[in-house]
Amino acid sequence: MDSASDAPIKSLRPADREPNIAAGLQQVSATEARLSSVTLKDSSSRDGEDRVPSNGSLPADFYDAGEEIEAEDEEAPPSVAAAPEGSFEGDIAWRDGQGMDGEAPPSPSSSGYAGERGSSGDSSGIVEESDGSGGVSQVDWDKGKQRLHENMQDDASVSWRKRKKHFIILSHSGKPIYSRYGDEHKLAGFAATLQAIISFVENGRDRLKCVRAGKHQVVFLVKGPIYLVCICCTEEPYESLREQLELLYGQMLLILTKSIDRCFEKNPKFDMTPLLGGTEAVFSSLIHSFGWNPATFLHAYTCLPLAYSTRQAAGAILQDVADSGVLFAILMCKHKVISLVGAQKATLHPDDMLLLANFILSSESFRTSESFSPICLPRYNPMAFLYAYVQYLDVDTYLTLLSTNSDAFYHLKDCRIRIESVLVKSNVLNEVQRSIMEGGMHVEDLPVDSSLRSGSASNHLGMGRSEPVLVPQSGSGGPAGLWHFIYRSINLDQYVSSEFSSPLNNFSQHKRLYRAYQRLYASMHDQQTGPHKTQYKRDEDYVLFCWITQDFELYAAFDPLADKAQAIKTCNRVCQWVRDLENEIFLFGGSPFSW
Amino acid sequence: MASRRRMLLKVIILGDSGVGKTSLMNQYVNKKFSNQYKATIGADFLTKEIQVEDRLFTLQMLILPFLQIWDTAGQERFQSLGVAFYRGADCCVLVYDVNVVKSFDNLNNWREEFLIQASPSDPENFPFVVLGNKIDVDGGNSRVVSEKKAKAWCASKGNIPYFETSAKEGINVEAAFECIAKNALKNEPEEEIYLPDTVDMAGSSRLQSSSSGCEC
Ligand SMILES: Nc1nc2c(ncn2[C@@H]2O[C@H](COP(=O)(O)OP(=O)(O)OP(=O)(O)O)[C@@H](O)[C@H]2O)c(=O)[nH]1
Ligand SMILES: [Mg+2]
Repeated sequence: MDSASDAPIKSLRPADREPNIAAGLQQVSATEARLSSVTLKDSSSRDGEDRVPSNGSLPADFYDAGEEIEAEDEEAPPSVAAAPEGSFEGDIAWRDGQGMDGEAPPSPSSSGYAGERGSSGDSSGIVEESDGSGGVSQVDWDKGKQRLHENMQDDASVSWRKRKKHFIILSHSGKPIYSRYGDEHKLAGFAATLQAIISFVENGRDRLKCVRAGKHQVVFLVKGPIYLVCICCTEEPYESLREQLELLYGQMLLILTKSIDRCFEKNPKFDMTPLLGGTEAVFSSLIHSFGWNPATFLHAYTCLPLAYSTRQAAGAILQDVADSGVLFAILMCKHKVISLVGAQKATLHPDDMLLLANFILSSESFRTSESFSPICLPRYNPMAFLYAYVQYLDVDTYLTLLSTNSDAFYHLKDCRIRIESVLVKSNVLNEVQRSIMEGGMHVEDLPVDSSLRSGSASNHLGMGRSEPVLVPQSGSGGPAGLWHFIYRSINLDQYVSSEFSSPLNNFSQHKRLYRAYQRLYASMHDQQTGPHKTQYKRDEDYVLFCWITQDFELYAAFDPLADKAQAIKTCNRVCQWVRDLENEIFLFGGSPFSW
Repeated sequence: MASRRRMLLKVIILGDSGVGKTSLMNQYVNKKFSNQYKATIGADFLTKEIQVEDRLFTLQMLILPFLQIWDTAGQERFQSLGVAFYRGADCCVLVYDVNVVKSFDNLNNWREEFLIQASPSDPENFPFVVLGNKIDVDGGNSRVVSEKKAKAWCASKGNIPYFETSAKEGINVEAAFECIAKNALKNEPEEEIYLPDTVDMAGSSRLQSSSSGCEC
């Protein structure tokens, strides 16, 4: 926990980032319980291997509550640059962060030599827990990480290496800034190794994009003095991983702005970790969303389905405050937009919305009281802070008012009071709750003949879940074996995705489907071809169908045994269905994108 | 208040081949020593946490490959690694072998090499530590560089702290690294206030900046 002794820093972590004028300061405990144990890293070559500057091999150890624990035996993990095969594999598992205590991996100090490491542990401690619910809240991830810190290991530890997907941020001097798993400090040696690799290539006036080592990919993103690295064996396309790193960087900018570069210019020793203290949950929740939130690869946002008039009512009052000098007014329910309005000419990028929503949703402190906090929208202006007034109106629904003015707190508070009373009066908040209960579009409800449907629209509109929810009734999908779809409107920068239904029953299945969509997305956006494109792909899991036109993109998953002609017909019907319901599932007019 | 945040210190270890850099690290980090000599080909990266004066430190230690200036064949590709490796270093440890005069003479070269590559903002006061290693050899009888001579050189370079060590017997190794942390505490910079820009929209913000990009 940082404390008075850090006083001179104008620290920006959410904890102290809530000037929270009304409520006073409230300290969120930074996850700082750290051991002082001696630890060691990629030491020495004496025992054996000749080493290239890559010996900071992949570490591993954190029983984070995150996904991606590998369940299989590991072998000697690969050095980054070397290419051993098959060392990391296993099913995706979801772990709720319980009961890791008994599994403390071998003390790192006892396995300092590279040569000893491969055999220094076994994987039995990691239990695969394929869940039905997948409902792990962000708070849990936070706790998970905290716990990690408590019996954290370094990169030599087995469980660190077993993680399927690592994200690491470091500075250009090789100092760790963030690591998804494990304690940043204990990964210092590993970070130095990554820096060495990156710098080595950069010095050759080249740019390191990706290293493949067996099943592993190491993807690099260099942003001035900030290096971002993803190491994974999830078989995601390079482009997707790179975009995930871009988002991770964007999340960092959201917290600190790009002015951070200047600190490194002035002082290469600059250690920015204190500025990020307490924000780990923000990053881990973003990373988690790479596995479930299509917005992360579609670069579009999604709306909570609402009757047109309800959304209109919300939009009108937001517009009202936007005219009074609020830059953006955003009303959201979890990850879904209810309405949003921007001041004239101000446009909000879907990625910024994603990062902002993630920041708010993953910072517990926003939930408890009204907050006023500096944030940066990297797509809007990466250099500068805006000021965000955030207030939850009910458990899921929160209002965000952005201003350029650091003195705007009282004005924004007044705006919120006005907005809230209008929303209550016009029953918007109740409608929101009802929509959450009803869910979005269910493939089972796909009308046989779309003409029958139009008019009775408000029944089941929707979109993807914002978190794993209970699976609806049984049955196996919609007509023609349709299991799921995502429809993205290109003009609106919005998408709608159907609710999950049987047989896509659990989080790992959802994630697998998202990964499949993501691959599809990457391959469709890979080469520039004409405006109309389709792809039809059958594998053992699904029949996947993608159709891209100038106006929309449709991604649909069918039973692997589905008939192709039927599937294509069904896709047409889905498009028609979406168009029939567009007034309820999309936001029109209020959105800056529509101009 | 008891626990201020941990400091990460990047420590570069330099010295001629064979003086015992790797051995010192192994002794320090793993409490192990081997008589066998295996030259460090790439770079070694190690981490160790220590507590000094109630502060927790992580030492991020880099032993750079023996390369550059005096080396010849095959090492050229490492040469360009220099700057990047040295970037952001908080301390530099120079090691020589008290039994090899050349390794002592070269300290000056290593120090200069470091200052060129790392180009620290205040080279005069950049924290170095010098270690005279292998004092155990032959009971000290084969020693060719005297403590006095070494100390004199250190004094002439701005009072560099000097330690006589033996990686083999673990003499003075802890003390030397503790000194690095203490040094860092002394030189701990006043934390700067981090103040990015604010978007200048209505001209009302306090921290207007040239870079604000609002097109309003
Ligand atoms: N007696 C004795 N031998 C030592 C000591 N330190 C290192 N040695 C021996 O000296 C030899 C070289 O030591 P290293 O630690 O590999 O030297 P280095 O500086 O890392 O060498 P390069 O990697 O080539 O740069 C080894 O055989 C060690 O066993 C010491 O304090 N006493
Ligand atoms: Mg060596």
